[in-house]
Amino acid sequence: MSNDAGTATPVVPRAASPGHAAVARLPGTPRLLAGQIGYQVRQLLANGRTLAIGIGLPVILLIASKGKGSAPDVAGYAAFGLTITAWASYGVRLVAARESGLLKRWRASPLPRWCYFAGAILATTLTAVIAGAVAVAVAVLLWGSHFGAGPSIQLTGRGTAAILIVFALAALAWASAATAVTSLIPSVEAAFPTLTLIYFPLVIVSGVLFSLNEPSWLSTLVTYLPAQPMIDAARNAVHHAPGVPFIPGRDAAVLAAWAAGGLLVAILTFRWEPHRPRGHAGTRPTRSPRPDVG
Amino acid sequence: MTAIVAEHVTKRFGGFEAVSDVSFEVPGGQFLAVLGPNGAGKTTTLEMLEGFSAPTSGTLRVLGTDPHRGSRAWRARIGLVLQSTSLDPGLTARDTLALFAGLYPDPRPVSEAIEIAGLAADARTKVGVLSGGQRRRVDLAIGIIGRPAVLFLDEPTTALDPEARRHTWTAVENLATSGTTIVLTTHYIDEADHLAQRILVLADGRIAADTTPARLRAQAGPATIRYVLEDPGVARALPARLAPHLEPDGRTLLIRSTDIAGVLRELAGFAERHRLGLAGLEVGPPSLEEAYLTVIDSQPSPEGNRT
Repeated sequence: MSNDAGTATPVVPRAASPGHAAVARLPGTPRLLAGQIGYQVRQLLANGRTLAIGIGLPVILLIASKGKGSAPDVAGYAAFGLTITAWASYGVRLVAARESGLLKRWRASPLPRWCYFAGAILATTLTAVIAGAVAVAVAVLLWGSHFGAGPSIQLTGRGTAAILIVFALAALAWASAATAVTSLIPSVEAAFPTLTLIYFPLVIVSGVLFSLNEPSWLSTLVTYLPAQPMIDAARNAVHHAPGVPFIPGRDAAVLAAWAAGGLLVAILTFRWEPHRPRGHAGTRPTRSPRPDVG
Repeated sequence: MTAIVAEHVTKRFGGFEAVSDVSFEVPGGQFLAVLGPNGAGKTTTLEMLEGFSAPTSGTLRVLGTDPHRGSRAWRARIGLVLQSTSLDPGLTARDTLALFAGLYPDPRPVSEAIEIAGLAADARTKVGVLSGGQRRRVDLAIGIIGRPAVLFLDEPTTALDPEARRHTWTAVENLATSGTTIVLTTHYIDEADHLAQRILVLADGRIAADTTPARLRAQAGPATIRYVLEDPGVARALPARLAPHLEPDGRTLLIRSTDIAGVLRELAGFAERHRLGLAGLEVGPPSLEEAYLTVIDSQPSPEGNRT
């Protein structure tokens, strides 16, 4: 996956001949979307911290469980890393972009607004899938393709494909939901604690890292939230039993519903402007009671 | 062709009326400066023209389009520099411009935008480590990358050092001569004087003056003549015409008059009679700043009725 794919935004006017202004047309949306994805991926990769969490955390957990000899929970660990990438890191970035006025600037440009969302969400999904793939690859390196005791429990080619599809779907769900939630977060300072307080308990209760003896109503509830179906589907892909579909339909449906619902809410409520205009001290209108929320 | 039309535009935020019944037109190619104190409604007006918000009432047209409903094609013909800088700190100026250039049908070459904005030395530096002045130049370069027909500049030189301001002025002047319609908000009178063909003074959300720098200056009224008596004792001998202008300190003469020659003749005669030097004599021209302040001060209070 070349990280500069799609970032090669044209530097010179498209038409080769001079005097083309009259016939120049707006760039097509596929090209704009590709440019946005490329830009966002490049930004994600350039920011080592995002990678360190998304890729590093599952790998650290895998290496730390090497001593036990038994199968590591590669699916659970990778899923944990994924939620941090696609929910927390992404959400903080989005709030920071909004509060710095960057989103407002994009909004005023001829970029279709959905292209910004789509670019950011797809780039995050791509990064999350890469991070998941690295976790699986490290697990294979450390343990070979056999996870667990029986010969039926092993990571196959189709299982690998399934787990990557699950990661893509889950990242899409988390990133879409994060996009929706950011409109409620007033500042960059509030972003990390708010996002963490939402996903961390959810991930724990959903049994990403270990099983809790949670009340039954809670274990029923979490099957409708994005963490548990993600983990269930990812584990199912790794510990695949014959005769069972690689991706459980119910898990996929819940994740898809979160992706679609998150996108819908995001489109309806998304906020492009900072909560507080970041004017230079002393130059702001002194009497304006609050910024335009429109 | 008329680039901008505003008809009875009012913008309310809750009970606060930021812009009240403002009407004006800007012909294509004109350089308009919107001048006014903080809270006068400059930025609110500009943000409506840029399409960020819709007027509470009234009509706006920019290039014949309601800005709030502006299409992509419309936005491709508008350039803007927001009041606060809005850049991705992780990209270089060149990459930022290349990214934005890709959004326009007929963008300016990145190197040309860099040249115009005076960024050549910093083009490959990440925006996050540039100085505030340099970032404003990147903002300006993004604003012009799409060859806009209308360019909005919201306080583009606030917080810049004098040299950076001068450079921005030159860049903006070059754009203006190429036929771009430019709307600039500023609270620097000298900036409006230097750049604009027309000045719209906003105060309390209303148009306080719609004028040119020259006419605003002409409105400024009397010149100021100031002379300090070294020996307060001679004040008693002041001619009748000058005596009333003695300040309470008993030694400073401060005369505001349109008859400069007449006042100076009286003063020179008085000085000669009493053997006083005239080295400390000051004659101040009517300043644009004074004219501007006169316009602002003559505004009714926000609650008062507009005539």
